[in-house]
Amino acid sequence: MGGRSLDRGQFSPGSPALPPIRGFLESSFIDWPGRLCAILFVGGCNFRCPFCHNHPLVLAPEALPEIPFAHILQRLTPRRKWLDGICISGGEPTLSPALPGLIGFLKDEGWAVKLDTNGSRPEVLETLLAGRLLDMVAMDVKAPLVQEAYDRCAGVQVDLARIAKSVNLLQRSGVAHEFRITVAPALHGEEDILALARQLATAGSRLKLQNFNPKTTLDPRFEGKQGFAPEEFGRLARIVAELAGSWA
Amino acid sequence: MGVVMPLNAEKGRPEQNKRMFKEDSTDLALFVRSSQDDMTGWDRHRIVEALLRETFIDRDTAEKISLDIEATIQKGRVKTVTGPLIREMVNAKLLELGLEEARRMHTRLGVPLYDVDQLLVQHNKENANVPHGPEATNLTLAEGIKKEYALLHVFSPDVADAHLSGDLHLHDLGFIDRPYCSGQSLEYIKKFGLNLPHALSMAKPAKHAEVLLAHMVKFAAALQSHFAGAIGWDAINLFYAPYLESLSDYEVKQLAQMMIYEFSQQAVARGGQAIFSDVNIYWEVPKHFENVEAIGPGGTYTGKTYGEYEKQAQRFAWALFEVYKEGDAAGRPFFFPKPLVHITEKFFKTEGHMDFLHHICEVASVKGNTYFVFDRGETAKISECCRLSFKLEATDLEDAKQPWKMRYSALQNVTINLPRLAYRAKGDDTRLFQLLTEKLQLAAKAHEQKKKFIAKLLALGKGGPLALLAMDLDGQSYLKLDRCSFLIGMVGLNELIRVHLGEELHESEAAIKFGLKVIAHMNLVCNKLAEAMGMKFVLEQTPAESTAFRFAKLDLAHFEAEAEKVIQGDRKRGEVYYTNSTLFNVGAELGPIDRVEREGLFHPLIEAGSITHIWLGEAQPDKEALANFVIKVFRHTQNDQIAFSPEFTACIDCGKTSRGLSESCPYCNSQNVDGITRITGYFTKVSSWNKGKLGELHDRYRNVNRFNN
Repeated sequence: MGGRSLDRGQFSPGSPALPPIRGFLESSFIDWPGRLCAILFVGGCNFRCPFCHNHPLVLAPEALPEIPFAHILQRLTPRRKWLDGICISGGEPTLSPALPGLIGFLKDEGWAVKLDTNGSRPEVLETLLAGRLLDMVAMDVKAPLVQEAYDRCAGVQVDLARIAKSVNLLQRSGVAHEFRITVAPALHGEEDILALARQLATAGSRLKLQNFNPKTTLDPRFEGKQGFAPEEFGRLARIVAELAGSWA
Repeated sequence: MGVVMPLNAEKGRPEQNKRMFKEDSTDLALFVRSSQDDMTGWDRHRIVEALLRETFIDRDTAEKISLDIEATIQKGRVKTVTGPLIREMVNAKLLELGLEEARRMHTRLGVPLYDVDQLLVQHNKENANVPHGPEATNLTLAEGIKKEYALLHVFSPDVADAHLSGDLHLHDLGFIDRPYCSGQSLEYIKKFGLNLPHALSMAKPAKHAEVLLAHMVKFAAALQSHFAGAIGWDAINLFYAPYLESLSDYEVKQLAQMMIYEFSQQAVARGGQAIFSDVNIYWEVPKHFENVEAIGPGGTYTGKTYGEYEKQAQRFAWALFEVYKEGDAAGRPFFFPKPLVHITEKFFKTEGHMDFLHHICEVASVKGNTYFVFDRGETAKISECCRLSFKLEATDLEDAKQPWKMRYSALQNVTINLPRLAYRAKGDDTRLFQLLTEKLQLAAKAHEQKKKFIAKLLALGKGGPLALLAMDLDGQSYLKLDRCSFLIGMVGLNELIRVHLGEELHESEAAIKFGLKVIAHMNLVCNKLAEAMGMKFVLEQTPAESTAFRFAKLDLAHFEAEAEKVIQGDRKRGEVYYTNSTLFNVGAELGPIDRVEREGLFHPLIEAGSITHIWLGEAQPDKEALANFVIKVFRHTQNDQIAFSPEFTACIDCGKTSRGLSESCPYCNSQNVDGITRITGYFTKVSSWNKGKLGELHDRYRNVNRFNN
């Protein structure tokens, strides 16, 4: 039960052992394929993707009230028979040194855990995978692994070797995983998308194409820009699905 | 008002005979436009005749009045008067004389010129299922007059006043001469063909699936013109099954497509309104039909039982949902018929149920059509209308052996304005429950009065206006009046609690507990009244498409100080509403789990059916996640029924449909768009919504993460 560890004081509110949770969605149908899961949002991110729509979490996480972990547990425990797992999202959760502790705690409590990451911290991913602490990983891959393109889509300079390492780790992990590609016509040509899909498609990897959503973006210049037209997006998604499927 | 005209006593002597009156009258060079499409000369007698025919006043008084009116008209030096004007002048006179009862009886029902002009040009938004057109305005005009008739003539003044003041709402007053809704079996037309009273031709039982469909559609249209609301069909896929054996999969799909298009495009019947139709669908063969002999082509027994038609029934169910998934030619969801899938213990024991569950969940996610009806334990139900469902009782299960006998009707629906009770109770529990009891008694009285009226019409038999409902092909009249239900609904439990306890339902356990006490009390009083009056009163979650708006507006006018604190919506824009029935605040940040669990606590108390809506908004979950959720709702809650509601934008310029409610079309950027989503229990275009519902749409919580705001 959640109370046990709390009694030890390990996760008392504000404890440095705990990554600050800046958002909590009790149940989601769309964040874990086939499952009903809760989502914990960890603040802070090392990327500045212009199309990011969780930007308050990225730019000013401190402005969002920290949700006491005790409160979260209190909400989760009675919903255990409903929830198939907990998704830890962000921001970029792997930036928090307390992440492994949090995940370890949740695993001890018997929860399945999914991690959302941008893959920039492969060493964290490696530790978590090695510790068998993850049941599913969704990694956002921003662009084909080409320096200029990637930097443009992530809004910062990215060490591509680390991204590649994370991709590789997941592909070899034996853990359920999904590569998510958010595409916007202003950033991605059709060739980019297909090239990236080819790079990522291996047996056991799910590929998910997401269309850019023009409502509230991190870079205000992106607000109001269009995503791919629905037919065009549908066509691309089908090609990507076929590429992924050819490995299945 | 107030000025009493002297009666012309000399001319009005009662001893004078009829001819003399006639002579008296003709010296007036005045034409009267009569109600008989005629211009006639002035004849004071007509006033007397009408008063004596229509009211209980004595001849002397009638004579006096007519002479007085004559004098007034003479003074005016007009050349033409109309029948309605004379009638209103007489009414004014009756009022002066304090003859209130006579005035009521002598009232003329009708509509001002200005209103008709407005109506013919502008769109009526009381019911989003009524389009705008000549048929629709006919409907509105007829409804208007029948409504006045009902309030004056069918219901007693205390009941009528309670409706007019907004203490309660008598639904479908414009359909006073019809029962409320009807659920039936396809077996009736399979066995008897299409053999309707006064029809120009009669059809024998159908030999082919398409012909059966044609009969079904026509019968539904005939029923629509005899009922105010929904027309539901039980176990539609099973009862079609005996006609499907020789059909290929392609042909079955074709039939499914025809059925859905027929019902969704039936905008040619009453009021240009699509038939509000429901089809109940089972993956398994329901236990009560397993050993029933199946009726097949030509209305004869096939020699098999329905239990043996499981595969055919499943094939049809599958095909129907394939059609729902595709949507119409523009990719929009079909609005009708609404598919209600029953999830039962047997469902989970039937082969292929997970595939089917995924299939219908995909439809729920992509188009939203699917209703998941949970029949736990041994309860068997048929559902229809926005929420209404009927539990099958022992007599019904006996009827199930001859399924054509299965038909159900609720005669009327009366909804109680709950927040107003709290305004009046001023925090006093005893007073609150006392007031609630009084309103329930009044609702029961209203039901009794409507029942009496319908019984009178029905007693006229095949020569009367309800000949269709009196038809007795199976030895019983189609409408079984003594087995009808009488619905009592509620609006604004959430606001009642907020006034009474200072908290909304979602805010505390204590609020939920008190809410349950209120509904349990309603249930108890219903049962007591049912026993005392020999009528089946059952609670229903009123769809309250316009009632939630009407009560809110009336309370803002009459209980402003109290109401303005709890009313939902945007008062500046006039988009005000009360939360429907026992639902929780639509805008409360309640995840789907909490919503189905907590709203579900109320469902066992509401016998005639309940639902929890999950507003998906733009999100399009995968079918496995939804199926997973649906199973848990069945296993872990008392929730009666759920539906997932996505939102769409339909472009009027390019004709394409996209996901989510957008201000412009993502395909062609046109701003000439209309939203589509569920209003209460059915999908419609947002442009047709009343202001209260628009306010609610804006507030609906869509379970997306909060950083998007």
